[in-house]
Amino acid sequence: HDAQMDYYGTRLATCSSDRSVKIFDVRNGGQILIADLRGHEGPVWQVAWAHPMYGNILASCSYDRKVIVWKEENGTWEKTYEYTGHDSSVNSVCWAPHDYGLILACGSSDGAISLLSYTGDGQWEVKKISNAHTIGCNAVSWAPAVVPGSLIEQPSGQKPNYIKRFASGGCDNLVKIWKEEDGQWKEEQKLEAHSDWVRDVAWAPSIGLPTSTIASCSQDGRVFIWTCDDASGNSWSPKLLHKFNDVVWHVSWSITANILAVSGGDNKVTLWKESVDGLWACISDVNKGQGGVSAVAEGQQNEQ
Amino acid sequence: GASAPVLTACVAGRGDGGPSASRVFVVRKDQDIYIHTLRKLFNESHGIFIGLQRSEEELAGKSRKAHLVQVSKNYRSVIRACMEDMHQAAISARDPALQNQYSTQVSILSAMELIWNLCEILFVEAAAAGPLLLRLLDWVRLHVCDVDNMVREVLSSEDPSKHELFWNVVDVFVLQGRMDEARHLLSKEASANPTSVNMYRILDDLMKKMPVPSLNATQTLTEMELKWQHWHEECQRYLQDGTFASNSHMESICKILLGDEDAILEKKELMTTWYHFLVTRLLYSHPTVKPMELRFYAQACMDLFLGVECSPEPLDTILMAAFEFEIHQVIKECSIALSNWWFVAHLTDLLDHCKLLQSHNLYFGSNMREFLLLEYASGLFSHHSLWQLGVDYFDHCPEYGRVYLELHIERIPLNTEQKALKVLRICEQRQMHEQVRSICKIMAMKALRNNRLGSALSWSIRAKDAAFATLISDRFLKDYCERGSFSDLDLIDNLGPSMLLSDRLTFLGKYREFHRLYGEKRFSEAARLLLMLMTAHIAPCSFWMTLLTDALPLLEQKEVIFSAEQTYELMRCLEDLTAGKSDKQKFQDDNVETMKVEMLRLALARNLARVIVKEGTLEGS
Repeated sequence: HDAQMDYYGTRLATCSSDRSVKIFDVRNGGQILIADLRGHEGPVWQVAWAHPMYGNILASCSYDRKVIVWKEENGTWEKTYEYTGHDSSVNSVCWAPHDYGLILACGSSDGAISLLSYTGDGQWEVKKISNAHTIGCNAVSWAPAVVPGSLIEQPSGQKPNYIKRFASGGCDNLVKIWKEEDGQWKEEQKLEAHSDWVRDVAWAPSIGLPTSTIASCSQDGRVFIWTCDDASGNSWSPKLLHKFNDVVWHVSWSITANILAVSGGDNKVTLWKESVDGLWACISDVNKGQGGVSAVAEGQQNEQ
Repeated sequence: GASAPVLTACVAGRGDGGPSASRVFVVRKDQDIYIHTLRKLFNESHGIFIGLQRSEEELAGKSRKAHLVQVSKNYRSVIRACMEDMHQAAISARDPALQNQYSTQVSILSAMELIWNLCEILFVEAAAAGPLLLRLLDWVRLHVCDVDNMVREVLSSEDPSKHELFWNVVDVFVLQGRMDEARHLLSKEASANPTSVNMYRILDDLMKKMPVPSLNATQTLTEMELKWQHWHEECQRYLQDGTFASNSHMESICKILLGDEDAILEKKELMTTWYHFLVTRLLYSHPTVKPMELRFYAQACMDLFLGVECSPEPLDTILMAAFEFEIHQVIKECSIALSNWWFVAHLTDLLDHCKLLQSHNLYFGSNMREFLLLEYASGLFSHHSLWQLGVDYFDHCPEYGRVYLELHIERIPLNTEQKALKVLRICEQRQMHEQVRSICKIMAMKALRNNRLGSALSWSIRAKDAAFATLISDRFLKDYCERGSFSDLDLIDNLGPSMLLSDRLTFLGKYREFHRLYGEKRFSEAARLLLMLMTAHIAPCSFWMTLLTDALPLLEQKEVIFSAEQTYELMRCLEDLTAGKSDKQKFQDDNVETMKVEMLRLALARNLARVIVKEGTLEGS
């Protein structure tokens, strides 16, 4: 159901309905199985790699309502934490930018979003946003730890005050933006444009321009690009990228946010780029294999 | 489309409900950087690029233009060298698929050089009417090589004039304006056929006298045009007089000299391309053609040559755009046709230095040059060693280069310590503090996972990561308690001021110092240090027992080391320690613990006794 490259593009983590999470070494174009992680009791929906400065850490979430954090210690992978605070399937996990520490956001079919923060010594602190989306939450994606506009205005040199934000997509057809204020998470924005369940959201990496960008895709076959031009994050406007013929499952950005990869039930992966006049153009499509394409992860392959 | 930069997308096949057939596909664009023979192209062009960026400021005017032309020639020679290597590789390859790949690369490189050369003539050198034609002639001679074999064959035969392809070769020379060579060959024919001596002499004379534009300013354009008119008329007269009527070959040559379109077109197979046709036509009908007039002739010639059935190929479109001086169009078409950004990035950069690109504000405020360089450099970062070239390209992108570098440099896998150090040096040179810290933290974590405590410690010091340093110091101390010795003594001994990064680290350093002093038998200094570690609360409480136990040998020495005051201090420390324990803990303490405490109390008491006596005694008595 999901396939994610690690930070360097040297390892690939995959997960599926067979309840396992597998890790492959993909250097030199090979696919060598390194680990087969068992611990879930249902189909595993998503996996996410944490930043390498915390070690080799992988999170997985599953239909069995569990979120498991796996860690590689002395060459072997082991379960380091298990979270069972949700009442139904956990659909999405996403690590926060490393500047905030080791924090994992989890979205579940019980409509809640939990935020698990590692506080040290094997301890995790949990914050829960209940009823984030009615019926269920399908996707979570963190905003980059970049102050919008920092490219243009010279930074003062001190550590900037980051405001933690993330986006979520749910069965209420909405994309919501959450902001942390005084240690509490509040709903900052409600973005309405989809006419069916939102399947994935992806907050684009930032190079410091004042614009923030989010991509969302839905059961209704549409992919929207949401942009906000002011630093305070108040006015988001959607632009329709394309209407596909089938449900769109995943969207994913490249490192410098030049390219958006979209994958859907019509068996295709398409790559999109913004042109000079602000319109999005499809620059290529990949049509491989039978069965729907469910996960796309952009990264850079950094080996020979 | 081929304008995507390097990316890797993984696609997982999905089953609907039932057990999914998970297949993983790695999709990758831009394989070119992995072709070994192109490596030289990337490396050497990088050198030229950097040289160009740096030399920019000093020159002006004519010398500047000459310099830019030289740079252009350098790029082209790099392309040619690469073509040579690729050609050799194609010949020596035994696998037909590989051979095919190399041959394809050769033709791509050849096309690139063709385009670049034309751009050099029209844009960089901006040849004016007169020299323009000469440059175009050189260009054609250099690039239309299909006839070379035939030429060689005829020239090397025993009696060229008897060779069946003799006249073809003469025609080739005439079409390419290589008058001397044509005349030389013709002379052989003349000596073989005495009957046509007269005809030959006239033709030879006409060819000798043909006016050509000069490179230096020995004659103005008007003068040349006048001379040319006269010469043209003379040729016309001879043709009309039927001078060459009896020899169809010579007659056809005369018609070509007169610029007769049909006569030239008849030799289509010898010209092979429409742009050869164009230049030949210009040579014999408009030798003083102006740059801006090229577009009309070019379109007409292409249409005539290709005819109705043939549609132009991408290469033709690109060359046509060049003849039309549509620089942006040239860049756009090349971007579409070529599979990687190398060509357009470097060519555009050069044209930008020639101040030929309008500042075309793209959506994100950057310009075309920077956009292309960013794409090219981003592509380089997927490669295990070429990424280093990418760094320099980002450096020369004033708007987004830095932030792109920040994003990319963190993704380079740090498999070896050397690589990490290389990356760090690059970050430090550019004051990328965030990245430095992040990389050091990653290396520290890696080292810790592999139990290389010394390495982990030095990385966390470099990262100025107090929390991690504390963690590692604890590990060191734990190891000491278990094994009774320190690892990585060198590192700990030479911590210097970095010791102050964390309290635990300071303690570690000082504790090691205590051991050193003890080893050097500087007992009173060691004693003082030991005491200070506890009284100044540098040592964590958990370690006090160990420290007191370390004090035992000092107390047992023959010579009294601890002063009375110091002994009282030690006693107090011991009491603090034992008082701090709850009853439950005391109950749990095993015999060893209680015995230790007993021994300490005894040793302290004995020491106190001795020192009181010593201090009470007058010197000398």
